[in-house]
Amino acid sequence: MKRLKLAAALAVSALLSTPPPPARAQMAPPGTLVLLRTIDADNYDPARSTARSAGEALTFLGDTLTSLDWDMKTVRPGLATSWTVSPDGKLYTFKLREDVTFCDGRRMTADDVVYTIKRFVDPATRSPVRWRAGPVKDVRAIDPATVEYELTDPYNELPLQLSLFFLSIVDKTSVETLGANFGIQGFNGTGPFCWVSWTPRQEMVMRRHEGYTWGPPIFNNPAPQVDRVIWRVIPDANTILAAIQSGQGDATQYMPPIALPSLRNTPGVTLSNQPNYFWDYFVGFKVDKPAVNDPVLRRAMVMAVNREAIAKAVWFGAATPSDSYLNPAVLDFDPKSRAEFPAFDPAAARKLLDEAGWTPGPDGIRAKAGERASFTLYGIADTLNNRAVEAIQADLKRIGVEMRVQMWDATVAWGKLATQEFGAFIMSYPYVSASEALNLYFPSTSAPTPNRMNWKNDQTDAWLKQARMATDPAVKQEALASVQRQLTEASVWIPLVREQLWVVSGRRAHGVRAHGIYGMGIYKGLDITLTP
Amino acid sequence: MKRLLRDPIGTAAALVLLAAVALALLAPFIAPTDPADNDLSLAMQPPGAGLPLGADDQGRDLVTRVLFGLRLTLLVGAVSVGAGGAIGVALGLVAAFQRRLDAPVMRSMDVLLSFPAILFGLALAGILGPGVPAVTVALSIATVPLMARIARAAAGVEMGRDYIEAARATGAGNARLILRHLLPNCATALLVFATLRFGQVILLGAALSFLGLGAQAPAAELGAMASQGRNFLFFAPHIAVIPCAVIVVVVLACNVLGDSLRDALDPQSTGRRP
Repeated sequence: MKRLKLAAALAVSALLSTPPPPARAQMAPPGTLVLLRTIDADNYDPARSTARSAGEALTFLGDTLTSLDWDMKTVRPGLATSWTVSPDGKLYTFKLREDVTFCDGRRMTADDVVYTIKRFVDPATRSPVRWRAGPVKDVRAIDPATVEYELTDPYNELPLQLSLFFLSIVDKTSVETLGANFGIQGFNGTGPFCWVSWTPRQEMVMRRHEGYTWGPPIFNNPAPQVDRVIWRVIPDANTILAAIQSGQGDATQYMPPIALPSLRNTPGVTLSNQPNYFWDYFVGFKVDKPAVNDPVLRRAMVMAVNREAIAKAVWFGAATPSDSYLNPAVLDFDPKSRAEFPAFDPAAARKLLDEAGWTPGPDGIRAKAGERASFTLYGIADTLNNRAVEAIQADLKRIGVEMRVQMWDATVAWGKLATQEFGAFIMSYPYVSASEALNLYFPSTSAPTPNRMNWKNDQTDAWLKQARMATDPAVKQEALASVQRQLTEASVWIPLVREQLWVVSGRRAHGVRAHGIYGMGIYKGLDITLTP
Repeated sequence: MKRLLRDPIGTAAALVLLAAVALALLAPFIAPTDPADNDLSLAMQPPGAGLPLGADDQGRDLVTRVLFGLRLTLLVGAVSVGAGGAIGVALGLVAAFQRRLDAPVMRSMDVLLSFPAILFGLALAGILGPGVPAVTVALSIATVPLMARIARAAAGVEMGRDYIEAARATGAGNARLILRHLLPNCATALLVFATLRFGQVILLGAALSFLGLGAQAPAAELGAMASQGRNFLFFAPHIAVIPCAVIVVVVLACNVLGDSLRDALDPQSTGRRP
């Protein structure tokens, strides 16, 4: 029977799989670290891409002023050895390392930092994440190793945000020479590896940055341990599994969750987990659309979705069911809002709807005052999203709520998700702090996207502003706690699961440790060594 | 009919198709559960007691899903061949009957023929949104030029026959000539082709659903089921293998029946297979 199953699986696999390109059949070359992923970025200009796949390569090619420790809370030195902030929170002064060079050998100075920040916030650069740099008034070089970063308003998370790849220090000459092709045809950075070539949707090749010794203090080795790195794209996660097992790749964070349990017992395969990983899945409601504009209905839906069963069946245990809006390990998480979060209880959800006047119709779908408990959900089509929404759909049907599903290919999904055509959407996102996550999604000014919920609340706006600008950490924490409690009460989202980060490495690679900054499992790769 | 029944393989194929249609029609009455009912604790259960075909990744009974999937797959096939066939036959007969319309109609069909059905599917899914209507319209359009060519060829042969001239001499109008004389005499070729096309359309519909352009969750459709099961091929192969096997059986039955019908309806055929 087992043979029959295997034969059937192979036969259908042969029919269903796309033929692998020749590159996939190559064994990983000696001295070259081969990292596998499912998707490429559209460009590698840190100011112009928000893709995790861009960040993966850019943390290897570039450096940031600060770095983030493994606890995902503590900001450590990067290119800046230290920094101070003025009492009013508006002036940061960064002291820079003086031993840093770009890949072309030129010494990095304060002028490069000033150029990078000014380019990043320049409207002409059209960075989609310009807000991460804060309300910049001016950035100036005091001397070759000192930078003053002046703000119009206090921005307490500046050092944290400066650790993200978006603000990797760039070389003015390289930017101006390459023009629109900067990050496409080349990138001259100060990172542990240097750009060799990029074949879109296939691979990016890097070589060791000779003389690099200024890695962040979170690593055991301040210098890279391998000669070359190849970031190789293999779109099918099942093929990635085969590639790691056969030695065609050394490490990946894109292993299908279903494979993780068996890999834990596979000789030669090592798994690294980052418990402080912040990549959450949620369903958001447009709070001004028919049916879902009723907070009681929304609360009942939160209670009806079996998040634990979804985490087990869809993520095969590689996700933790959410019981709060944010990960409890994140900076400024509010434990009280977690205690107030409604538990899974479909019977109580039905009772709540009965009491609120939502009565079941002949087809089992509830209605109130002539309005059916029915809405459409939009999302980006992928295996996890598709399976999660099917499970949610079934859970909601059990309490008499109809959720129609329309999943879109990624090429059109973002456009569709910017419309007002739907009542709910499924989304997942990385974040580094409560302030970042809440300030991303909930300010009134962020509607219609990324505030796709159309959540416009003056009190929320006031708390978020207070959190951004507070110079007292306690004030910031209290403001963010208030927002978390308010959102929990209003049931604006169904928080679904918190994805776990597992980086899988094969027989050759050692020292692979899952980091998780902005969702990236492999960060700079400084401690990774290869068995010859 | 008697000649078809004398062919055991053709008869078996017809019986398989009849059984498939019967199962599809009776799905709401004989399926053990609701097709959307899930129990995540049973997700990916292999075939065994209580779940003869196992459960899919959502913990839904695969017997139920296959029955309802067959229903939707056959419905898409029937509507596409029916609608596309009707339009195609009408155009083919008109082209054969009205010589001045022959070139414009058939060249238009040639243009349509140059587009693969998958491309129509992609385009219509972009306009109408992914779903069964987009797939059905795409497959209907893709069927039109094929049926038009068959109808045009068959009608072209018939137009030269004496009975057409005789009918015209007795004062039969164009509509009567086409509907009462031309169409019945082309029916054999059209029926054979429609049977073969039905199998092709099922396969194409399954392919479009496999690409995510067809049935949307939680609707059961065999191609979509195969697509969903593909992700678990090495861990729970039954989720993809079972709907694929059903598609293979139905399409094979269509093809064999088409061949047998051709043999049975061909007056020059000895009724024996080569």
